[in-house]
Amino acid sequence: MEKEKILENLAFAIVEGDEDKAVENAKAAMEAKLDPLETVENGLSKGMDDIGEKFGKGEVFLPELLMAANAFKSAMEILKPELEAQKMQTAQKGTILIGTVKGDVHNIGKDIVSTVLETKGFNVVDIGVDNDTLSIIQEAEKAQADVIALSCLMTTTMPAQKEFIEVLEEMNLREKYFVIVGGGPVTQEWADEIKADGYGESAVEAPVLVKELIRKK
Amino acid sequence: MLNFLDVYERALQGPLMTEQDFDLKIFIPSLRRVVKDYGIEFDPENPIPSDDRAADNLFNAAVDFLSQVGIYCQDTNRVIQFSKEEIMEAVREAPGKCLVGDGKEAGVFGMRSPDDGKIPWLHVGSGIVASNEEMMSNLIESYGTIAEADSISISALDNIRGIPITAGSPAELYAAIRGVRIGREALRRAGRPGLPIMNLISTAAAAVTTIAASAPQFGLRPTDGWLVGAISEMKIDFGAMNKTAYLLNWGANIGAETAPILGGYCGGPEGTSVASTAYILMGLLIQKGNYQLTFPVHFQHGCSTTRDVLWVVSSSCQAASRNIPMPVIWLGYIAGGPNTKSYFYESAAYLLCAVTSGAPSVQTPHPAKAVKVDGITPLEAKFGVEMAMAASQLSRERAGELANQLLEKYESQIPNASNGSTYQECFDVTKGKPGEDYLRLYNEMKEELADMGVPFK
Repeated sequence: MEKEKILENLAFAIVEGDEDKAVENAKAAMEAKLDPLETVENGLSKGMDDIGEKFGKGEVFLPELLMAANAFKSAMEILKPELEAQKMQTAQKGTILIGTVKGDVHNIGKDIVSTVLETKGFNVVDIGVDNDTLSIIQEAEKAQADVIALSCLMTTTMPAQKEFIEVLEEMNLREKYFVIVGGGPVTQEWADEIKADGYGESAVEAPVLVKELIRKK
Repeated sequence: MLNFLDVYERALQGPLMTEQDFDLKIFIPSLRRVVKDYGIEFDPENPIPSDDRAADNLFNAAVDFLSQVGIYCQDTNRVIQFSKEEIMEAVREAPGKCLVGDGKEAGVFGMRSPDDGKIPWLHVGSGIVASNEEMMSNLIESYGTIAEADSISISALDNIRGIPITAGSPAELYAAIRGVRIGREALRRAGRPGLPIMNLISTAAAAVTTIAASAPQFGLRPTDGWLVGAISEMKIDFGAMNKTAYLLNWGANIGAETAPILGGYCGGPEGTSVASTAYILMGLLIQKGNYQLTFPVHFQHGCSTTRDVLWVVSSSCQAASRNIPMPVIWLGYIAGGPNTKSYFYESAAYLLCAVTSGAPSVQTPHPAKAVKVDGITPLEAKFGVEMAMAASQLSRERAGELANQLLEKYESQIPNASNGSTYQECFDVTKGKPGEDYLRLYNEMKEELADMGVPFK
């Protein structure tokens, strides 16, 4: 099969969230001796960009994103040995630690942001829901995070976002991390008031926001 | 029907799995399969469908889906499962009505059907945060003066003595107790002390707060209504189950609260309509509700008035009202805030949709996605009551035509809708009267809607 066709099929399999087809085409790429890095960038990542765009337009939703991400991961497993053998590395875009704050068990908004960031190639460490401030800091240290993303759905859990930034300052760690906030009741005004580094009203804004912050680092 | 301890036992003994596996391996594939098997299709041209067979098909799909998926208990990491027979038994034994309120405000909150000419149970107010006690008190008193109101939701306080309210903290407990006392006192001032408060306890995230503030000396009665929230999607935790356990022992009204999210794990409108219907069944089985509060919302816009969410509301409301004897309060989240044209257009579209689809009750649609402090006034409640009464005179088909006309006016503006004015900016809070500009806008909007064919009295 021609190179262009393989890459096109690979991207299509990702958009469709078809894990079997993604693996099949990743194997075809390796059999055809395609450059593994080019296969990632112009096949897998192209597919993720396309599905991300559809998500931004409201044409697909979280399940489709998750299936695409799953197909991406499985295809990467096929390409990884060759990437390592050739000492190649995909572009590292940065590590984002994400979770909801103490008292908040609502995960869907956080899960959407987490998946959107993954589809854009960021290394996402998702620590789940209901995290107290010190645990988040410990996890961020462990993950060597560049950005900490804090989500909440309730007005009564918003103060935990403020507390987190204050504790970072108290521990002299504020300069080490970018902190971004989001969630139903959160606004730009709130983000400014608590001195967060960024805010996104919807999940599709997250990759641009994070990329811009990491560029400043 | 299975009793609550049977359900609790299943939470201890059901299949063990991680929450992620429940979401990805059980919930999503089952929902997609059911949508396909039952041929459920969203029709964007028709936000208020009027096909009874489609509504019954959706109900059957929801029963099938719930029997395949169950409810995930976050505290035990186990799935509470129900057979189709158990689900149908719960439906057969559902009370179909809820006795609320005291004295001359006592009433029976019962069922309605699609195209029902009966006026729905009119539930006014909101749990939107108020910046201080005076604001909260005056707002509730004003709601109480709306003669047609059958029941009320009261605000949540933003702080207690300047200390922010945080979930599960002593401040939350203080604010909850203070809040119910203010609520009951404000209703007394309005001359309606028996009006049922049905969003208890609005400040409480923790079960301990709900239980503490429910002590009778603070003014609540079992004929009020307490909300026990599910976690989206199809999950529950011990916090919610503890509330149910307490309220069942007390014999108080329980409102199962759910918020299916279009665009999240439910996917598009088809899957969300199945989940929205299944949540009504969950309310009977898990929270043991004798009424329900539900507010489907769009994942990106945070409101209930996009075309696809309106279709979800209409189709699942029809499926439930035709097949599940559970009085449900349908609540719309509106993108536009108070004192905006968009609020009136969106609110009208939502109420046309819910009322003609058989909603047993509708609540004052919440402005500015319900997240703006002091972001609601009594005028939205008055408009909501008038609009719901008018909508009850219309058929689904006619309401669908009007909803399409309204969508043309506001749909494109949803992503950038203004969150409007605060209560104090557009109202004389002390006198409980709207400012001139807001009153003018309200009159203009009612005139425009009447010209379109909304039969206001």
